[in-house]
Amino acid sequence: MAPRMLLPTMEPHDTDAGLMLRYRDGDTAAFAALYAHYKGPLYRYLLRHVRNAGAAADLFQEVWSHLIATRARYEPRAKFATFLFHIAHNCAIDFFRRDLNLRRALPAHDPDSLLEPEVPEHQRPDRVAEFAEQQSALLAAVAALPQEQREAFLLREETGLTVEEIARITDVPVETAKSRLRYAVRKLKDSLRPIQEPEALPLRTYA
Amino acid sequence: MPDERIPDELDDYLRGSSALSSQYKRESSPLPPHALDRIVFEAARPAPLESKRPLKNQSLAPLAFAASVLLSLALVLAIIFGPQAKKPDDKPRVVQVRMFKSEPPRASPVSARERNPAAWLADITALRRAGRRAEADVEMRRFRSAYPDYIIPINE
Repeated sequence: MAPRMLLPTMEPHDTDAGLMLRYRDGDTAAFAALYAHYKGPLYRYLLRHVRNAGAAADLFQEVWSHLIATRARYEPRAKFATFLFHIAHNCAIDFFRRDLNLRRALPAHDPDSLLEPEVPEHQRPDRVAEFAEQQSALLAAVAALPQEQREAFLLREETGLTVEEIARITDVPVETAKSRLRYAVRKLKDSLRPIQEPEALPLRTYA
Repeated sequence: MPDERIPDELDDYLRGSSALSSQYKRESSPLPPHALDRIVFEAARPAPLESKRPLKNQSLAPLAFAASVLLSLALVLAIIFGPQAKKPDDKPRVVQVRMFKSEPPRASPVSARERNPAAWLADITALRRAGRRAEADVEMRRFRSAYPDYIIPINE
């Protein structure tokens, strides 16, 4: 498994915002550079946040489509990553809302259906080759986090953004974002500790 | 003391040097399918902007159609009720029919005749001599109303 290219910490002068401005003015090559830079982090954020490969692909397309459609109005008020992932956050929120409504609309006598994602058959996660994702203990622990904590952790890991910027993306106070991240880190560490540190388990001696 | 330990954990994590971040970075790095790349790039090309132009033209199409209909209607109305169209059917022809019916050979207008009461009386006399008494009477009444003080010779 190849090591992932991490997003560099954003410079004071956000070059990505400059690329977006160039794309706004018609430079398609600037968009290609932006896309190459962010497609991986954005896709992984969506995939591991919504936990459904088909839905992640749809949302991925939706986020870029929104960015493309609104590029004429783009103004660099914040880092480009903040701008892009704020769109992604809103798209994900809409997805969860739709998903919840669909689940509520399902017949109550079919308990199994509540566990199935509401996506077309060919887009179901078990039909998409994403099994490696489920084999990792860490990713399974991430998937088990509450939605808000999972998002905070994924935003931090995939973008390297600060807690303040994560708070801005998710439209919550900084303390709330910090709390979510704190609980996420704690739960992930706790869930991985038995695997990482088996020798740390207390040994009991019986006389 | 867990309350003291958690902030330390978070600070350590935020510094980017935690084992958790290292482990996450070692995980697989799935990328979007190439089909998605193609779709996004297609959408990002200038073509979508160009494709909006026909939409704008389409949105103006009803307005252009309405304008052409209004212009056509105005043109038709101008042809039917316009001043040039009215001329052939206008008063002069009707007046001419009434006037020349009594005296076809004379081309002088009514006003000229009315300016010359002697000539008008001569015309009335001619009508009587031609046996068109009713017309002569009508003309005489008009003459009297036009020249109430005019002394008509006895033979009229």
